[in-house]
Amino acid sequence: MNLFHILKSTSGNVLNLTLTFIIGVMSISIIQAQEIDLLLKGGRVIDPKNNIDSEMDVAIADGKIFRVAANIPANTATKVVDVSGLYVTPGIIDMHVHVFQGTDTDSYIANGPTSVLADAFTFRAGVTTVVDAGSSGWRNFRLFKKQSIDRSQTRILAMLNIAGTGMYGRFEEQNVDDMNPVMTAHMINRLFPDILVGIKASHYWGDFTQVDRAVEAGELADVPVMVDFGEHQPPNSIESLFMEHLRPGDIFTHTFSYGPSNRETVVDENDNVKPFIFEAQKRGIIFDVGHGGGAFTWRQAIPSIEQGFKPNVISTDLHTESMNRGMKDMSNVMSKFLNIGLTLGEVIQRSTWNPANVIQRPDLGHLSVGSEADVAVFNLKKGDFGFVDIRRTKINGSQKLEAELTIRAGDIVWDLNGISRIDWNEEPK
Amino acid sequence: MFKGFPKYLLVLILLFFYNTTAIFAQEIDILIKNGHVIDKKNKIDSKMDVAIANGKILEVATNIPSDSAKKVIDANGMYVTPGLIDIHTHVFVGSEPGFANGFSSVSPDDFTFRSGVTTVVDAGTSGWENFSVFKEQVIDRSQTRVLAFLNIFSRGFSSGTAIEPDLKNIDPRITAEVIRKYSDIIVGTRIGHYSGSDWSPFDQALEAASLSNTILFVECHLPEYTLEDQLNRMRPGDIITHTYENISERMPVVDKQGKVRPFVMEALERGVLFDVGHGGAGFWFNQAVPAFNQGLWPNSFGTDLHRFSMNSGMKDMLNVMSKYLNMGMPIEEVISRASWKAAKSIKREDLGNLSKGSVADIAVIRKRKGNFGFIDAGGGKLEGDQKLEAELTIRAGKIVWDLNGMAAENWEEKESKNKS
Repeated sequence: MNLFHILKSTSGNVLNLTLTFIIGVMSISIIQAQEIDLLLKGGRVIDPKNNIDSEMDVAIADGKIFRVAANIPANTATKVVDVSGLYVTPGIIDMHVHVFQGTDTDSYIANGPTSVLADAFTFRAGVTTVVDAGSSGWRNFRLFKKQSIDRSQTRILAMLNIAGTGMYGRFEEQNVDDMNPVMTAHMINRLFPDILVGIKASHYWGDFTQVDRAVEAGELADVPVMVDFGEHQPPNSIESLFMEHLRPGDIFTHTFSYGPSNRETVVDENDNVKPFIFEAQKRGIIFDVGHGGGAFTWRQAIPSIEQGFKPNVISTDLHTESMNRGMKDMSNVMSKFLNIGLTLGEVIQRSTWNPANVIQRPDLGHLSVGSEADVAVFNLKKGDFGFVDIRRTKINGSQKLEAELTIRAGDIVWDLNGISRIDWNEEPK
Repeated sequence: MFKGFPKYLLVLILLFFYNTTAIFAQEIDILIKNGHVIDKKNKIDSKMDVAIANGKILEVATNIPSDSAKKVIDANGMYVTPGLIDIHTHVFVGSEPGFANGFSSVSPDDFTFRSGVTTVVDAGTSGWENFSVFKEQVIDRSQTRVLAFLNIFSRGFSSGTAIEPDLKNIDPRITAEVIRKYSDIIVGTRIGHYSGSDWSPFDQALEAASLSNTILFVECHLPEYTLEDQLNRMRPGDIITHTYENISERMPVVDKQGKVRPFVMEALERGVLFDVGHGGAGFWFNQAVPAFNQGLWPNSFGTDLHRFSMNSGMKDMLNVMSKYLNMGMPIEEVISRASWKAAKSIKREDLGNLSKGSVADIAVIRKRKGNFGFIDAGGGKLEGDQKLEAELTIRAGKIVWDLNGMAAENWEEKESKNKS
């Protein structure tokens, strides 16, 4: 019986009711059809915050996560992308990068040539949010914001260096008189609370003064402190750092570096993780990878994982001196941990929900309904791969993550193989 | 047996052999073994070894002994090619709005080595007034070899959209002078982004090219010049880019019936060179595929790398090359257009080859098999079953990219060596 027959064979109230019903159904379909802008169908969703690790569809509307469920009907979406066989995760957060790119050729990282353009590295590795780790301080953050942050498609958050001039150079970073906890905290709390998520202390040659100033600022601003504790000769005690100077929630970066003459290691010379490392992690100290050009070695990372010491956060320390070496990009660093014993779920957690928590941004790093639609779709390649550390030694591995599709605030910003595209012959001429 | 043979001669002979071996053993810094070498200039397209010493190519031959090298890399199953040349990029990166000294340009090293590229040519992002800033800020600081076309407009390419530049500052003589002064870097003149109908900027660009004995690189956003007039004015050896674009401001090379326009084929036969210039809007399969099938092959795979093309269908040089591989171009043709033909087009025959003594810029490339897709500027895709990936990139004898650690040692072996 078709619509015509229904209309013809009914009368009065029944007809009205039927019409209302039909119009109602049509309206719902129209609303639904308009509501979902993009539907990712058939992928395996890994969303550690929401304890999801199963085949589900992800619906996006108005730049936000609209629904995550099994079998969302395809006809309710403007655009459907088949992601079967692929992994769908929250947009990856890289908590340690240097993206204050600029033209001051005398500078190291602050407005200098060693920083990089965030968008050149993020989306092609599934990353949608980066945290700049202290490239700028309170004196030059506004230039960083104007020059890099405001022009970026990637969400750029930042930790403010406790040194006012940020990472202008190693020399400037020694200036204790320019480590001003009050100004640092003011800039975080009063001026840019939406962007500034922490404080960085790094490259200091002296005692604990720099760390203590950073923690003082961290107290005032109620944000975590990240410490690169690498350039004291002889090395300062990291046990003292973890147990006496840092607070739970503060971050130790370059966890797996091996520079024994100026940086105390987490694994001793007999390949044993030092007992206080486990205690420190239990106490709430956050261990960040911060791979970089000189801070990730197999001889530290492999015994650590074997003995049950896993980093809280996986990050790259992206800059020009790391980008073309063993680091390469975030998906490569994540793949390293996949090949030395972490599960895919553990790797994703350490690059989404964990860093979001550490920087106190619970709005990020998950696929909860209503959150901004930052999504990564990965292909887990199987084959023979190699992964290099900063000592140019390698491990062989059998799996590697590759970013197929990256979505930032609902927009497709990376599509490696055109899975969201139609065949060129069908393009409008 | 040696009776009557002077002892000192024997010693000399022994010493001679000893020295030769010793010298030879030290001579090769890196030996790439068993790869399939494609070197168009030297007509090599077969399995060979490549020896590098002191940053230069020492030898390309079959079966070079491994014990004569400090480092041996097994490239079995991979292609070994000259370092790739991207003749169309925008790398005058800075913090101003737009391209010249601007944030619409990108840093070359961020993209090159991971894609097998060792040389880029900046397509006129600077002009004679600001070339020195470009040189100091980017060219001198990059690991990638950065060459350049000099824009006929004095401040280069300062905006993202078509502009009416200050015509008074065009000066073919000064432009030619700067080109001659930096003849090791600047390879030609560039015209583009002019929305007037007066031909004098174009002609002055040609004049600067003639005065400096270099080529003219014709870009885009010249809406009032017809394609036919542009091609007619160009000399053999001049390069037109964005060949396969399909946008309103320039007549496409393929007509509505799917035929390459006859005057385009005439220009090709006359020796005008066609560059891809992919960019964000410069490459359409509905142009490129019919053009390819009718013989209008690109001479070079310029990517038109900049901030707005990097994450689009362009992605990187090997992705652009892979498109042609999947359209049916043989691999040796793809490689030669990305190396030797590109080098010849910018009159830099010292590059793009593996001749003995030339600088050791090398790419080791893997051809991946699988299901891949490639996007054009119209949003459509071409499906394919092969894709090129850069395994190892060497710039002046130094390893600057090693995707899977083929040149690295196993960590346990190395660390145990260190401990013992």
